[in-house]
Amino acid sequence: MRETSHSKQPVVRVEELAIGYATRQGLVRAVRDVSFEIRRGETLGIVGESGCGKSTVAYGLVNYLGKNGRIVHGDIIFQGQSLVGRSPEELRRLRGDQISMVYQDPMTSLNPVMPIGAQMAEVLTVHRKMAQDEARRRCLAMLTKVAMPDPEAVLARYPHQISGGQQQRVVIAMALLNDPALLIMDEPTTALDVTVEAAVLDLVVQLRKEFDTAILFISHNLGVVARVCDRVAVMYAGEVVELAPVREIFANPRHPYTQGLIRCVPKIAHTKGESVLYPIPGRVPAPDSLPAGCTFEPRCQYAIEACHQQRVALAPLSPSHASRCIRSHEIDAQAWLPPDVEVPSLTAVTSGATDGPVLQVKALNTYYKQGGGGILGLTKRPPVRAVDGVSFSVARGVTLGIVGESGCGKSTLIKTVIGLEERTAGTIELMGVDIGKLSRRSLATIREMQMVFQNPDATLNPSYAVGQQIARPLRRLAGVPKAQVRAEVIKLLRAVKLDEYYYDRLPRQLSGGEKQRIGIARALAGQPDVILCDEPVSALDVSVQAAVLNLLGELQQANQMTMLFIAHDLSVVRTITDYVAVMYLGRIVEIGPSSAIYAPPFHPYTESLLAAVPVPDPTVKQAHIRLGGTPPSPANPPSGCRFHTRCPRRSLLPAGGNICTEEEPPWRDVASDHQIACHLTLEQLAAIEPVFSFGKEE
Amino acid sequence: MGVLLRSPIFMAGLLLVGFWVVVGIFADDCVVRPNCWVGGATSLQSTPWLARYSPYEQFRGQIRKPPSMEHWLGTDSRGRDIWARLAHGARPILTLAPLAVLLALIVGGTLGLIAGYYGGLVDEVVMRILDGMIAFPQILIYLVIIAALGASAVNVVLAITIAGAPGIARLVRSLALDIKTRDYIAAAETRGDPPWYIMFVEILPNARGPIIVDAMLRVGYAVFAIGTLGFLGLGLPPPSPDWGSIVQVGRTAIQAGHPWEALFGSLAIAMLVVGLNLIADGLSEELQRYR
Repeated sequence: MRETSHSKQPVVRVEELAIGYATRQGLVRAVRDVSFEIRRGETLGIVGESGCGKSTVAYGLVNYLGKNGRIVHGDIIFQGQSLVGRSPEELRRLRGDQISMVYQDPMTSLNPVMPIGAQMAEVLTVHRKMAQDEARRRCLAMLTKVAMPDPEAVLARYPHQISGGQQQRVVIAMALLNDPALLIMDEPTTALDVTVEAAVLDLVVQLRKEFDTAILFISHNLGVVARVCDRVAVMYAGEVVELAPVREIFANPRHPYTQGLIRCVPKIAHTKGESVLYPIPGRVPAPDSLPAGCTFEPRCQYAIEACHQQRVALAPLSPSHASRCIRSHEIDAQAWLPPDVEVPSLTAVTSGATDGPVLQVKALNTYYKQGGGGILGLTKRPPVRAVDGVSFSVARGVTLGIVGESGCGKSTLIKTVIGLEERTAGTIELMGVDIGKLSRRSLATIREMQMVFQNPDATLNPSYAVGQQIARPLRRLAGVPKAQVRAEVIKLLRAVKLDEYYYDRLPRQLSGGEKQRIGIARALAGQPDVILCDEPVSALDVSVQAAVLNLLGELQQANQMTMLFIAHDLSVVRTITDYVAVMYLGRIVEIGPSSAIYAPPFHPYTESLLAAVPVPDPTVKQAHIRLGGTPPSPANPPSGCRFHTRCPRRSLLPAGGNICTEEEPPWRDVASDHQIACHLTLEQLAAIEPVFSFGKEE
Repeated sequence: MGVLLRSPIFMAGLLLVGFWVVVGIFADDCVVRPNCWVGGATSLQSTPWLARYSPYEQFRGQIRKPPSMEHWLGTDSRGRDIWARLAHGARPILTLAPLAVLLALIVGGTLGLIAGYYGGLVDEVVMRILDGMIAFPQILIYLVIIAALGASAVNVVLAITIAGAPGIARLVRSLALDIKTRDYIAAAETRGDPPWYIMFVEILPNARGPIIVDAMLRVGYAVFAIGTLGFLGLGLPPPSPDWGSIVQVGRTAIQAGHPWEALFGSLAIAMLVVGLNLIADGLSEELQRYR
């Protein structure tokens, strides 16, 4: 789609780059033998899991390696001149303002005490000695180019007064002010919501065409890379293992690691039961204890004796495609056979007329009081309506996914259900009995409902061994006698596919995925009927994410548990849930079976979410729907339909959708278990084009 | 622990403090005589070891002598060996200071945990009362308490505990406020663990780093405070060897050309305080490096 045919001299050429960090254990080579080049108007993506050295490469390019890091081998040739072995002063002169960098978190790149206009202008007045009003004019023009709404007003604002997506636009605009030859973007959209991410990615694509700069785009997300890059370098354990045009990478991956990565990403096209995620076994080796031969050999199912013997070089397969594997020629991704590991086959469940709902939530409200505003806090401020009138019910063994942008109230909803937050109104019934706040619940009620948390680094108490932490709920909730605790803990460890020796491990000795497994084991200890998961895989790498998702699905199915699953990633939600509830500003706007919700008729908000999902397949065509504006504050939600301020489909209604601003939308029943809250009729909703069109049959 | 031993700051501090600990323990044969700790007066029968002489023995004609082979640090106004008095004086200071800080930790730590974990009104009430106590200069609190209750080892400990607890409570509260937002605390709450369990078993162990560093510094302050009280005549009653009162008595002789008593007394206090501060510095440096 975007293969460029520029054959000019490359802007930057990296040759056999190796970067080492001096540690107490000696020099650790975080990056080894990395070679690539980027031409004008081209975007090179670097993908890989955390710790594979992708950011280190970027820092190497801008000589920002810290006190103990240095380039130990290789060369970086930027616009015909070598950057290695020069003094910082020379580097500054050579590079000048020709390389710009955009970081993950826009808030850390912007000065919070300076108006945006002032800090943008500073770039020009300091670097280029430009006059103030000339600089201001340039900034304004640049903000217009990055599609900033109301750029004039933004110049006078402080960073905290604009949204995260707008902040990132400002950072990108600042990076482009000097008209750089090379723009490095290090996970520029990771901290943003999907809908905002989609808009920022659009901007990246458009700017590359307009400014003709070379872009180095670093991301862990294959979907994001598929959307913006021309060529992709896949990194593993500090090495580039495959380098190819973006279509090639996804259609015809040659390296076993690339193949494995693509296989373990949940596909948006697949529902629960259709797709199987195959995690890559093992874990990424630490840079100071690499295997002797091919770095991927210990985890590779194609490994032969020769792989173990010697290092493998990046070898070209075609002029544009290179792979670091001695068997690249013979491995056929299509003929891949699933390895002999257990992968659960999940079957979709429908809440039939079997028995009543296990968990029923009716008209639930959770408001947060706000401190007063004005002088001495005397002015009363309205409460934040984090959850505002939510009702749903879930049957035994059913998984309900809850999706929505950050701030839509999905976490508050789950925390209210489990009792960590106190509800303002409404009922939460567990098997027909209303459960009160946490401190009033009986041990039996507490035992029925447990939670898996989001952040693997905070889910376990760092002071205690894993065994003790699983033992606590066993003793407390399941009433296991002291003598049997160890055996029971080991049983649970086995259930989450961990070995017995993890019993005495401390959390800091575990990887993110392992911590999350322990978190799951701890939640399962009391044999709950309902398990609540708050983004349990969003902080994990894809290969680990697949394994944890499989595990959750398998355990949920085996124990016939009811599960609530929060995620912001719609593909993840689809692979594991039976039903999905879409939330916007504290309300559910659509609820229905996962198989039905991804195709029309759907709520216009669901449609926008789907259109924003980065799909790791360049052949899939997605409808181009981008939400304008920022989500309104839940303290002061819009009247009528809460989505009306951003709704792309409002124009389908007569009189420009006046009704949306005045009346609350009615529930439209698509099926007995599928409801949409919208003023549009079902016929109108059904007539909307599907979001995805697949290039070829999969 | 191994990394601590490689930190030069920590080792220097350990050396300074360790010196007085060893001297205090082996000043006389107390460690092998079971009845030694029971009554103070019986120490007259003890055999001096590192101290070389008894702290009470008065040498005839040896008033305010400068350091010599016989009396390493000289003699005081009553002809007693200064080294022997300092060595024995290390004992009360090295037991009272840590004891006072330990008590302050228990009181202040509990208050801080309660204020931090419960928050809201509990936090307001507890912290405002403690803020009120912090508003008074510490030395004033010591003087009021000792003046009201009389000078004795127990009252000195009590005074330091009461004056130190609010500061510790502040620290523990701020740590608890941070730690209670972690997911593992939520996990403990969702399995119905009682508040005391969450405070002392889930929160407290994760706050131990800063608390230990702070406690080390506080032992230093306590040494200082005990020295000050001794200097003001509110420490241990004479003739007990007390570093503060050694400086106080020696002070009058400085201008007469006999600075030894005041000098070595002050040096002893300084050594211990500097040593404890170095240990605290070394600890916090290592804690930060491995954060």
